[in-house]
Amino acid sequence: MKTHILAFTLSIIVCFGARAELKWDKTEVELHPTPADKQAVGHFTYQNAGKEPVHFKSVHASCGCTTAQTQKDQVPPGEKGEITATFTIGDRTGTQVKTVTVETDDPANPKTVLTLRTIIPQQLEITPTFVFWKQGEKPDAKTITVKVGKEFTVNHIKVTSSSPDFQTKVEEAGKGEFKIDVQPKETNNLVASTLTIQPEDSQKVFYATARITNAPTVQ
Amino acid sequence: MTSSLVRQALILAALALLPGVGEAIYFRHKISWQSPIPPSELVTVAQAHVWGENVIWVDARPDEEFARDHVPGALSLNEDRWNELLPQFLAVWSPGRKIVVYCSSLSCNASREIAVRLRKEAQLPDVFVLEGGWEAWLKSK
Repeated sequence: MKTHILAFTLSIIVCFGARAELKWDKTEVELHPTPADKQAVGHFTYQNAGKEPVHFKSVHASCGCTTAQTQKDQVPPGEKGEITATFTIGDRTGTQVKTVTVETDDPANPKTVLTLRTIIPQQLEITPTFVFWKQGEKPDAKTITVKVGKEFTVNHIKVTSSSPDFQTKVEEAGKGEFKIDVQPKETNNLVASTLTIQPEDSQKVFYATARITNAPTVQ
Repeated sequence: MTSSLVRQALILAALALLPGVGEAIYFRHKISWQSPIPPSELVTVAQAHVWGENVIWVDARPDEEFARDHVPGALSLNEDRWNELLPQFLAVWSPGRKIVVYCSSLSCNASREIAVRLRKEAQLPDVFVLEGGWEAWLKSK
């Protein structure tokens, strides 16, 4: 009976092994771009382990921010190649997971989903990025919290308001944290300001917005 | 005979379980990248129409798609140019207004990501994702 079980298990393993012709070294790639990088590029390598050529039917990325390119349309038996996935970082933050769906004429494995996981380093985490006062409201100061990312060291930040209608004051709260107090001079006029937040010795600039809004819309 | 069958079944079940356990251990720190949007954060085109002028439509698609066509009055806000576009959006927002974010279709994720950033980073209330996105809007016309 044990022989039967072993034979059954082995037959399943052999069947699965024989099915896949285009074998991928990895179907998930993790990338760690630097803060200066505009793009992150992942390489998904494969080999045709079967006896028939494999043709790519389509290669489709999950979002407009990612492009994917094949080196060739046809992969002869035994040949290796790669699909290059390029992710445009833009103003994205945190962990970004994008997929590339590859369709081939391999009947055993017609569709493969490749995953590109990009960990974008975040020098400063600003919360909230928007403070507002309703028109006529008491012009009390509101606080924006700035946390420094784990991999970074920032001892000072510089905050500039684009409008003289708002004043800002920076306080070091310790443990890689800063508090920015934002205060409007008055709240009678509908004015706004872009607050530019820049870590010392860094070219990278972060933004927050302060604004006096009109009264709530009643619906 | 029965005990032999049970033993075989248990052995097969254990064999089937092994890859699952292995995968669970290997992927233990890797959460699903796209959990479903809670129904309370979704809105249909019909519901959004009921809100009328109280809605700010936000187009989360890339610039080229927004330039081609968009919901009348919609503002472009995507993650390619978030820092540049967010102040333009905030200049229009006022308390009490509802925000409806859309991207291309049911399968796209951009509207969800923009909605999350508006809620978490800008701390705005009443942010919704349009069910079915731009495709649903076109069908409703």
